[in-house]
Amino acid sequence: MEYSVVLELFDLANKVVCVTGGGRGLGRGMAMALADAGAQVMVASRTQNQLDTVVEEINSAGGAAESFSFDATDSEQVDALVAACIEKFGRLDVMFANAGIGGGTDAEFWKYPDWAFDGELDTNLKSTFYTCRAASNQMIKQGDGGVLITTASGTALRGNKNFPYPTAKGGVISFTKSLATMLYAHGIRSNCIIPGFVSQSPAKSDQERAFREQRGTFIPARRLGEWWELGPLAVFLASEASSYVTGGSFVIDGGGLAGGLGPTGFKPVHEW
Amino acid sequence: MSEDISIRQHFSLEDKRAIVIGAEFPAGAAIANAYAEAGANVALCAITADDAVMRIRKVKREIETIGREAREYVMDVTLGRNVQVTMRQAVKELGGVDCVAIAPDLFLAKPIGSITDTELARVMAVNFNAHFFAMRSAAAEFRKQGTPGRIISVTSVLGERGLPHTSAYSAAHGAVHNLIRACSQEFGPDQIMVNGIALGYMDWMQDRINPDDEEAQRALRFTIMRRAGRADEVAPLALYLAVESATRYITGQIFPVDGGLLQHL
Repeated sequence: MEYSVVLELFDLANKVVCVTGGGRGLGRGMAMALADAGAQVMVASRTQNQLDTVVEEINSAGGAAESFSFDATDSEQVDALVAACIEKFGRLDVMFANAGIGGGTDAEFWKYPDWAFDGELDTNLKSTFYTCRAASNQMIKQGDGGVLITTASGTALRGNKNFPYPTAKGGVISFTKSLATMLYAHGIRSNCIIPGFVSQSPAKSDQERAFREQRGTFIPARRLGEWWELGPLAVFLASEASSYVTGGSFVIDGGGLAGGLGPTGFKPVHEW
Repeated sequence: MSEDISIRQHFSLEDKRAIVIGAEFPAGAAIANAYAEAGANVALCAITADDAVMRIRKVKREIETIGREAREYVMDVTLGRNVQVTMRQAVKELGGVDCVAIAPDLFLAKPIGSITDTELARVMAVNFNAHFFAMRSAAAEFRKQGTPGRIISVTSVLGERGLPHTSAYSAAHGAVHNLIRACSQEFGPDQIMVNGIALGYMDWMQDRINPDDEEAQRALRFTIMRRAGRADEVAPLALYLAVESATRYITGQIFPVDGGLLQHL
């Protein structure tokens, strides 16, 4: 394709991007897209063998990836991740604080144990704080701005019986807005991706496939999202293409939220 | 559906057909140029038959310079039938349509007590009815083709918040925001995705601010990035939202290009 001003804006050549929770699922999909857009990528997560696979996938496609195994709930290990980015690539331009996972327990709310609530907040909210703090500290030292991207969840925008996860992810959304306010003076933009129902991997059983199809009927796109579909959005937010976008929340959910996930179908009226 | 699409293809409109309504406005002009740069042939629609036509002609020349096809139309967006007929003609002459961007804008700042019935009607017609008519016609065209489609509405952060003296304008844009949400539900099953771009304080909006008002620079002070946005900063998001492969799971959303203004309002 010939030279194009607008397409150049999406280019991430010479940018160093770190993706936490990059070993599988959406994080893996976004790491691969960012590498495809030209970024040098540090993929980080708890599980080294998953990281090895992603690094191999990226490098064999002609990209440049390194990995770092760490626990996002431990601030010292998060600091070590940023140090590893600097050691491997010399700088850090984009931090994608994507690590997080739903967990908790089935206990009734009025009996809900401390450990389960604390665990959800540690994994999903405090980890995001540690990651963005460490990354912004480095970016401010570098002195030429940067980009922070966080991952929340559509469940944060509605009630849920499994309340700690959406509570933590709701915190991530407002945290990201505060990041935008606090860091604009240093040229650091921050935005939040809010995925709705997106499959982390292909269905493993007929039962899972049937569940996904049934769940998809309530979504205007008539299906669940696929793990790779967040990639282009990640590239938009990581690149100069989003130079006037900060503090924003980017819902990618097949239209579920716009209609409240309800079954549609008011009877069409032909006469008034 | 495929995961094997390269990221460059996800931002490409190679050989696609785009219609840009309100291409004489700064955002529309930038979007039209971006679509052409990304490979599309573009129908440029001016919403009035006056100097707007000269402005889209300039965009047409810019697009032709980079080797793409551009056609010019006058589309009176206040008349549903005119939108339908003009869009039909544009689709016919482009040989089909893949995405429609809707970018007309008519600002009005007045205390509600002095907004006349005529002014309200005009503000609603250009800022809201235009989007309604364009979505109605675009969805019909996409369905007739039996293809997926993309609709991009350029709107304002005032669709989410209200400020003094913007009652009519904010109401019109709020209506556009919920039009986007409702149409996303109707169009989703046909893989016609409709999303919005909410603009903050842009550099072409300086004449909207009263220089005698000591609070005049509040729009800028409330913008996290402390500067006005540019038209070329709207275009990349409009391009992303126009590409079929990149946005198969995004609909009913209004994304900001506002330097963080909405987070402060």
